Amino acid sequence: MAVCVAVIGKDNSPLYIGGVGNDTNTDNELSRQWLVHTALDALEERLATTNTNTANSASNASRTDLRDLYLGLLYSTDTHKIYGYVTNTRIKLVLVTSSTSPSGSNIRDAEVRTALRRLHALYADAICNPFHLPGEQITSSKFDRQVKNLLLNNV
Amino acid sequence: MATQPSDSTEFPPEIILKPLALIGLSGLDTINNAVHKAIWDAFSNNRRADRASVRFKLLNNTFEFPVVKPKRNSYEWYIPKGILKKNWIHKRVNLIPAVVVIFYDMEWNDPQWNEKIIECASRVQSIRAAVEGHATRVAVVVVQSGLSPPPSEYMLGAERAQALCAACEIQSKSLFVLPHSDHLMGYIIRLENAFYDIAQNYYHHETKNIKQHRDHLNKTTHQYLFVRHQYKLGYLNELKQDLSTAHKHYMHAYSNLLETRTVDTNMHEIRTVAGYINYKLCKLLFALNLPRDAIAQLKSHIERYKSRVGPTELLFEHYAWIARQYSAFGELFDEAIRAGLPGIQSQHPGFYYQQAAQFTTMRRQAMRSVCCDAMQYPPPPDPLEGTVEFYGQRPWRPGRLSADPHYPQKEQAAILALQYSERMFNHSGMIVSFLGSAISQFKTFHSPRMRKQLVVEMANEYYYCNDFGKALTLLSHMLWDYRREKWWFLASHVLNRALQCAYLAAKIQDYIQLSVEALSKHIQVPNNDKERIFRNIMSVLNLTIPAPEPELPASSQSKALELWQLAVEKEPFVIAIDMVNISSFLEVKSKFKQQIYRMDEVVEVEVYVRLSYVTSLEVKKLFLTISSKTETIEIPISDNGNTLISLVGGKVKKFICQFKTNPNDSGTDLYIKNVSIVLDSDRKRKIVMNFKVEDTKIVETAVHPELLHFILSPKADYEFDCIVPCTTTSITARECRLSLDVSNACPALQGEWFPTSFTVVNNEESQVNDMLITVSLVSTLDNQNPDSVTDLSWKPGQSQGQPLKISAGTVNKNSTYSNKFYLKSNRTTNITVEIKIVYIIDLPEMPKLECVKEFTTKVIVIKPFEVTTQFVGMNFKPISKCFVNDDFVVMPQIKILSPWDLLIVDTELDVAACFDYGDSKPSSCVSNLEVAEKNVASDAVCVRAKYKPKDPPTRVGLYNITWRRSNFQGHSVRSTTALSGIPVDDCPISLQVNYPEIIELQTSVPLKCTLFGNTNTPIRLCLTLEGTDAYMFSGYKRLMVTVPPHDKVDLCYNIQPLVTGNTTPPRLKATVLGEAANQEVVKEMFDKKFPQNIFVMPKYNK
Repeated sequence: MAVCVAVIGKDNSPLYIGGVGNDTNTDNELSRQWLVHTALDALEERLATTNTNTANSASNASRTDLRDLYLGLLYSTDTHKIYGYVTNTRIKLVLVTSSTSPSGSNIRDAEVRTALRRLHALYADAICNPFHLPGEQITSSKFDRQVKNLLLNNV
Repeated sequence: MATQPSDSTEFPPEIILKPLALIGLSGLDTINNAVHKAIWDAFSNNRRADRASVRFKLLNNTFEFPVVKPKRNSYEWYIPKGILKKNWIHKRVNLIPAVVVIFYDMEWNDPQWNEKIIECASRVQSIRAAVEGHATRVAVVVVQSGLSPPPSEYMLGAERAQALCAACEIQSKSLFVLPHSDHLMGYIIRLENAFYDIAQNYYHHETKNIKQHRDHLNKTTHQYLFVRHQYKLGYLNELKQDLSTAHKHYMHAYSNLLETRTVDTNMHEIRTVAGYINYKLCKLLFALNLPRDAIAQLKSHIERYKSRVGPTELLFEHYAWIARQYSAFGELFDEAIRAGLPGIQSQHPGFYYQQAAQFTTMRRQAMRSVCCDAMQYPPPPDPLEGTVEFYGQRPWRPGRLSADPHYPQKEQAAILALQYSERMFNHSGMIVSFLGSAISQFKTFHSPRMRKQLVVEMANEYYYCNDFGKALTLLSHMLWDYRREKWWFLASHVLNRALQCAYLAAKIQDYIQLSVEALSKHIQVPNNDKERIFRNIMSVLNLTIPAPEPELPASSQSKALELWQLAVEKEPFVIAIDMVNISSFLEVKSKFKQQIYRMDEVVEVEVYVRLSYVTSLEVKKLFLTISSKTETIEIPISDNGNTLISLVGGKVKKFICQFKTNPNDSGTDLYIKNVSIVLDSDRKRKIVMNFKVEDTKIVETAVHPELLHFILSPKADYEFDCIVPCTTTSITARECRLSLDVSNACPALQGEWFPTSFTVVNNEESQVNDMLITVSLVSTLDNQNPDSVTDLSWKPGQSQGQPLKISAGTVNKNSTYSNKFYLKSNRTTNITVEIKIVYIIDLPEMPKLECVKEFTTKVIVIKPFEVTTQFVGMNFKPISKCFVNDDFVVMPQIKILSPWDLLIVDTELDVAACFDYGDSKPSSCVSNLEVAEKNVASDAVCVRAKYKPKDPPTRVGLYNITWRRSNFQGHSVRSTTALSGIPVDDCPISLQVNYPEIIELQTSVPLKCTLFGNTNTPIRLCLTLEGTDAYMFSGYKRLMVTVPPHDKVDLCYNIQPLVTGNTTPPRLKATVLGEAANQEVVKEMFDKKFPQNIFVMPKYNK
């Protein structure tokens, strides 16, 4: 099952990091943040390679449109699997599943893709709020609730 | 290879070394014999990778081969005592050569051949005796001088070689000849490859031997031997360099080992051997370029042995073993990458080093849980003493296979000894070393953030082993990165740990800086106790020891207190903090009130300070650093005259700072460099917080202040967020009150010295001094380099260097200064002239102030006239070409364009080289002529061509016109124009016709025609006189004439007009006889010369 999701801004600053369960334990939160933060390495590497590919092709614009936002499995450790998703505005969505629990290790790629797409939609809804400041952390409790719901029910 | 931290789990060198076939060289006396020395060096030195994988060993006479164990015929009663013998590899790679090569000096035609052959044979025999029992091969190398023997002895060599083989009882293919004269290296390499072949053969033979044993074994008692034999086969194949077969055998060994029953007593041995075999397997897979298989092998290996923990008391050994598996694999991987294997971001050695570090951490945890009782080393006898024959066996129970401990007490003591050594082991050092390797790998493979995390872990390790200084250095670097990416949670974590380090190391500078940052709203501190941190800052200011950070190890606290005692009243007393790079509880914005200040204005700077932490802060001093081109000054800021400034938490305070500009700064920019806030408690210690303003840094506001306050509950003060810092201002000169009046008669004419007069009026309140006037030309778009075509001067007719300068001295209030300058342009263009006036004025508030005023004026330059040319013959009919020695008239036409009346003083024509004047140099027809706009003045000059130039002449000559404006006397201008050219042609004859212009009717007049020969050959002409109705004539109607060279022929006719008016007289036509080439020219000449028209007057009867 999914352990946590994160929304990361285009300048790589965290906008939202949410985990399942209401553990506010610092160590837990810390390891979660380390995981998401180090996933940025792989994300950036992916983006850099896709960029050079698109730059080479003449039909740059159409390629960007066709680019799949879902980047798939970024990397896996002994305990976790980390999936990435990048919106067209370079907002990065990261989903971490636990590979130790049976539901987490058997998760299908399509399921992760759906979950990240729904997270994208939730994010878009959240920043449509006129009182939200673009570039600031997402503090909306509704968004938090929806994301937790998504984690529990879908993935 | 990266040096790995050593402990008991380290792999023995023989496992790590690449197996090379061993070849013994005997009979070489390297000390006394130079040739032997050279041969040995050629074998052993500079072994590059492309040479055969063999190792040479020099065998001296005393070398002893290991004794051969008696062959076992049956394994029935044999119970192996362990899996792998420790000395087996050593024997294989160091002691038992595959081949022994005997070197012997001998020429085929040696006189004492018989003695030699016997000696050689005996040497071979003695070696044979020494290797008795081993299957080691023997080869003989005959060292010869290499001089080719006489042809008669070719056969002798073959015969004697055969005889030698027979005597030594060796095969002929084991006999080699080494000539040592030339190309030694080439021979050596060939020998080496031959030896290598023999060695491979030997190892192949050995493997066969071992395979034979297999049939005697059974699974119940000989499980160890299955492993051992397969391992040996693998190793021998490796020596043979047959890597894939070696891998196959190692794989069998590995799986046989897996089938072995494991109990606590043999656990250590089994996993040690499993580790070695796995190492070999991975190494071979990398060598076979199968990195994925290698990774898979390691994964399954770890997976299989992860659960085989062994005795709980020695749990740490298990983790140490796993850590070693990972680190050794990391090393192999790293080596493979260095040999050319590409690594990727998701799969590189760094991960394995990281795992090694993690398992070492677990090893330490295990040590903490199981070794707490091991307070001291057990009393002697030392249970760990003693040697073991097999890898991984315990010295206190060597070779024992039974599962139950034999001597429980001895076992207890041994475990205690191991636990005690583990307690003493420096785990942190090992973890740091693994992390260090991992960090460099992650750096190589583009994982900066992973690297940062590992660096933080490394810093934690340093913290655990009380090396706070190092930890602090690492953490402060990492803090920077997390802060920049705004991962505040991680930054807080790093900062809190760094703060602990700074406290424990009593580093005041870092401690204060970290504390200041900890008060930032972004940073979370343990227990949310920011008040304590603030108090600590104040304690340091007051030279007292701050309160300790929470969660410090108790053991370090007393040490820290001692350090603080020493540090608290010592240097550095001034702690400077660069506030721009850190997030803190103070924010400063500064701006110039205006973008531009004039010299006589007072510059005002607004400084806003926001204290975001809820407290009140007494600031001892606040100052602003302003820099200009010439100097950098510090300006203290006061709070309405009160130097002690108190700030209130959550509020913004505004300060205004005023200063006068430096007179030298006129025309330059001022920058706010720094705002410093000084905290001071009158106890020597000061904290200086510097808010530096970067020149290049663009102030980026991610969120627009308007947006920030659009939301319902604004997060911060609107005013502060809306302030846009303005850190640069320009200082301009004071406004100048002089006026300038320029008068001239524009447009100027090209080439003339054009006068412009100007008048400066002083409208200032007082007199001005040291007035300096500079006149210069300004480069404009349509006139990029004005000074190259335009001259400036104070006097007409004399060019002076640009810019023109004149000192006008003192000009009184309301008085004027006038002057006149001249300019001359050789091109029609627009000229922009700048008149710059610099002067010094004494103002009451600012003495000796320099002021500058610039004026510009534009001058248009036009052409005074235009010259065109006409060419006419002597009869004033236009001509298009002229003949040599034939006069014609050049008529320059001067068309006046100038709006001003001009006086043409004189004109002259300088003819080109191929022309000459028709008369002596003529005087001008238009001299002293006054002309107005649109008039045309025509001149006429008679000119003749002297010869026909090679190319048609481009110009007849230069036409010089001397002129000036008619309304002022003075300097006249000489303009020169080139007149266009006219083609010159050659004619073999020239012609002169004399005839009257006017004749009376019916009066007979002569028409005389003279023909001149211009060539060196006579020219024959046929002449015909073409009569007309208007005339009668007498003379030959048709005749042949020969014009002699450079001489003439006269022809005389009498003509008598019959009608009045304009008549066409009879004309001569000529045809050149012989040469047709000149026909056209001659015809043209006659046409031109004979009159078209003669006026006939009526005759009046008297």
